[in-house]
Amino acid sequence: MLQKLTQWSRLKSPWILHLNTGACNACDIEVVAALTPRFDVERFGILLEGTPRHADVIICTGPATRQMKDRLIRVYEQTPDPKFVMAVGACAMSGCVYRGAYNIIGGIDQLIPVDVYVPGCPIRPDALIEGVVKLLDKIKKGTK
Amino acid sequence: MSFQIPIGPQHPALKEPIGVRVTVDGEIIREADLRLGYNHRGVEKLAEQKTWTQNIYLMERICGICSHSHATCYVQGVEKLMEIEPPKRGLYIRILVSELERVHSHLLWLGVAGHEAGFDSFFMYVWRDREIVMDILETISGNRVHYAINAIGGVRRDLDELQIKHILDSLEVLRQRSAYYQKLGTTEPSFVARLAGVGYLSREDAIELCAVGPTLRASGVPMDVRKDDPYAVYDEVPFEVCTADSCDVLGRTVVRIKELLQSYNIIEFLLKNLPAGPISVRAPRRAKPNEVISRYEAPRGENIHYIKSNGSDKPERLKVRAPTLANYAATIKMLKNGFIADVPLIFAAIDPCICCAERSVAIVDARTAQERIVTMSSLRELSLKTAKHQTRKREAEWPL
Amino acid sequence: MNDQVLIDKINEGLKDKVVSITNPAPRRLFLKVTADNLLTVVGWLKHELGITHLSTISGLDLGQSFELLYHFANNCCALTLRTEIPREQPVLPSICEIIPGAILYERELQDMFGITVQNIPDGRPLLLPDDWPAGNYPLRKDWQYERPPEVIPGGKS
Repeated sequence: MLQKLTQWSRLKSPWILHLNTGACNACDIEVVAALTPRFDVERFGILLEGTPRHADVIICTGPATRQMKDRLIRVYEQTPDPKFVMAVGACAMSGCVYRGAYNIIGGIDQLIPVDVYVPGCPIRPDALIEGVVKLLDKIKKGTK
Repeated sequence: MSFQIPIGPQHPALKEPIGVRVTVDGEIIREADLRLGYNHRGVEKLAEQKTWTQNIYLMERICGICSHSHATCYVQGVEKLMEIEPPKRGLYIRILVSELERVHSHLLWLGVAGHEAGFDSFFMYVWRDREIVMDILETISGNRVHYAINAIGGVRRDLDELQIKHILDSLEVLRQRSAYYQKLGTTEPSFVARLAGVGYLSREDAIELCAVGPTLRASGVPMDVRKDDPYAVYDEVPFEVCTADSCDVLGRTVVRIKELLQSYNIIEFLLKNLPAGPISVRAPRRAKPNEVISRYEAPRGENIHYIKSNGSDKPERLKVRAPTLANYAATIKMLKNGFIADVPLIFAAIDPCICCAERSVAIVDARTAQERIVTMSSLRELSLKTAKHQTRKREAEWPL
Repeated sequence: MNDQVLIDKINEGLKDKVVSITNPAPRRLFLKVTADNLLTVVGWLKHELGITHLSTISGLDLGQSFELLYHFANNCCALTLRTEIPREQPVLPSICEIIPGAILYERELQDMFGITVQNIPDGRPLLLPDDWPAGNYPLRKDWQYERPPEVIPGGKS
C-alpha cells in the first residue's frame, strides 16, 4: 500500500537537478526555457531543485570534462536512491563536436549509468518534455 | 574572523560550472579567487584538425547564447584570409541575425537579473517575450539556438517578403513590451534598491583591468567595436553607443536596456533597406599563408579571434578570446569589499557566458581557515533577506 | 587619428626599439620588438599614446621559437606587438605592472605552452584540470593526444 503511494508520488512529481558538466550552455538555456510560460513543465509537477539530496532525476548536459569527472560522480552518489539520469543533448550522449579533444572523456555514459537519452544540438524544450514522459513510463513499468 | 568559502562547480544558481573561493570577514568579502577549467574543452587544439568550413560549426558551439558572435567573427577573418568579399545582401542578413541575437541575449539577461534579485515574475514575463525572438530566429534559420546562418562567403539562407513582414510585426509587439520593462526595471523601488550601489567598478579600474562590453560602458567609457572598428555594414547603419555613469549593477542594467532599444531601431533599418542581389560567393578550399585579427561586438563585449593560415585547408592557429574572460579580473575587483549576499548579483551582472565560468561559491573563513560550501540558492535567500532591511539608496538615472 | 599618424608617432618616439612596422589592412598595425624591449614599448604605448586596452595575448609555436602577439586596441586601430623567444629557453617578462588586466592571459600562456613568465603576480595554472600530468603543454605542435577507447554501455565495444 505504502509502496503504491510512493510510486504514485514519484510519477506525479519528479524533482530534477540540473547539472552542467562542461557544455556550451545552449542545452541549459533550453532546459530553463522549459520552465517558462510557453512550455511550462511545472504543470507536470517537475520542480527544479538546487541540491542533489532533494532530486529524483539528474538532468545532465555537456560532455564530461576531466575536471568535472570527480564532481559528477560525487553528485551522482549524493543523490538518494532510486535515481534516474537523463543525458540531454548530443554532447552528453557522445561528445558532439568535441570528440577527440584532450580535456573531454566523451559522453557522460562513460562515467555514470544513463536511463534516457535526448538527442539534439541543442535540444528543443518539447524534446525534453518527451524525454521526461518516456522516463515516467519507464518508472511505471518498473524496468530500470 | 575571516572564513573561506568554496563556491563549487555544482550549484543551483546558473547553469555553468565555475569555482570561486571567497575569503570573508563576517559578511564582507576580503579576497576572492576563481578556479576556471571546468568548462575547458580544448577547442583551439581541435580547430587545427578541422577544415575551414567544419570550424564554423565548432566555433558556434563555444557558447550557446552568443553562438552567432563566434561564428561571424571567425567567418569574417577567414573571408579576409581568402580575399573574398561577401555581397551586400548577405552582410545585411548576417547583421540582422547579429542584432536579433543581441536582443535575445539581453532579454535573457534581464530575466536572469530579475531572478537573482528575487523578482521571479519579471523573469517569467521577460522569457515569455524572448520566445517571440526565438520564433523569428527559427523562421529565418531553422533552429532556435545555433542558427548556422553563416557560410564562408555569405549566408546560407535568404529572407522572403512574408518573413520580413512577420519580423516587423513582432518588432512592434516587442517594442511595446520593452517599454513596459524599461519602466518596471528602472522605477520599481525595491528592484532598483537591490541593484544600486552593488558591484562598484570605478572608471579607472575598468580601463586598467581591460574590461569589455556593458561592464565597461556602465562605468562611463564609450568603447564599442561597432563604432571603433566597424565591420560588415555598421558604417552605414545609424546607431549610438550606450553608456551610463553609475558604475554599478544598476548602470549595467540601464546600458543593456538602452542597447535593446537601439537594436530594435537597427533591425528596422536593416529590413527597410535590404538590398537585392545574391547572398553568398563561392569560397576556395585553401587560404594563402597569412594572418588576420577579427573583432566583433558580442552582446557581452569584445570578441577577438586571431587566425593564421599556412596555405592548406586547415588553420595553423586559431586563438579565441571570449568576452567574459576579459571581465574576470574586473569581477574579482568588484567582489572585494562587497557583501557575501551580493555575490550572485555581481556575477550575473557581468553576464557570464556559462561556457566560460562556473558558479559555485566556496566561502572560506580567513580567521580559522575553515571551509563551508554555500549553495547559490541559500546565498540568494540571504541576499533577499538583507535587501529587505536596506533603505532605498537612489533613483534610477533614466534620461528618457 | 588614423593609421599613418600613429605610424609616424611610433617612428618618432621609439626609433630603434621597434624592429619593423607593417600596416596590412585599414586599422591594423603590426609592430615587431625584441623581448628585452617589450616592457619599455608597452610602457611607452600606455603613457604616450594612451593605448591601455589589451585584448588578449596569443602564443604561436613556430618550431624553433615561440612567437607572442600582444593585441592592443584603442578607438581607431588594433595594434599588435610581436615578439619571439627561443624554444629552449622560453622566458618572458610580465607586463602586469603596466597593464594589470594581462594576468589571466599570461597564466594561460604558462599552461598551454610552458612559457615561464617572470615576475608574474599569481602564477597558478588557469585552465588545465587538477590531475593534469606536468610537462604536457597542449598547444605545442609536437604534443599529440591519443583518445582512449570508448565503452558503449549495453552494446558492442
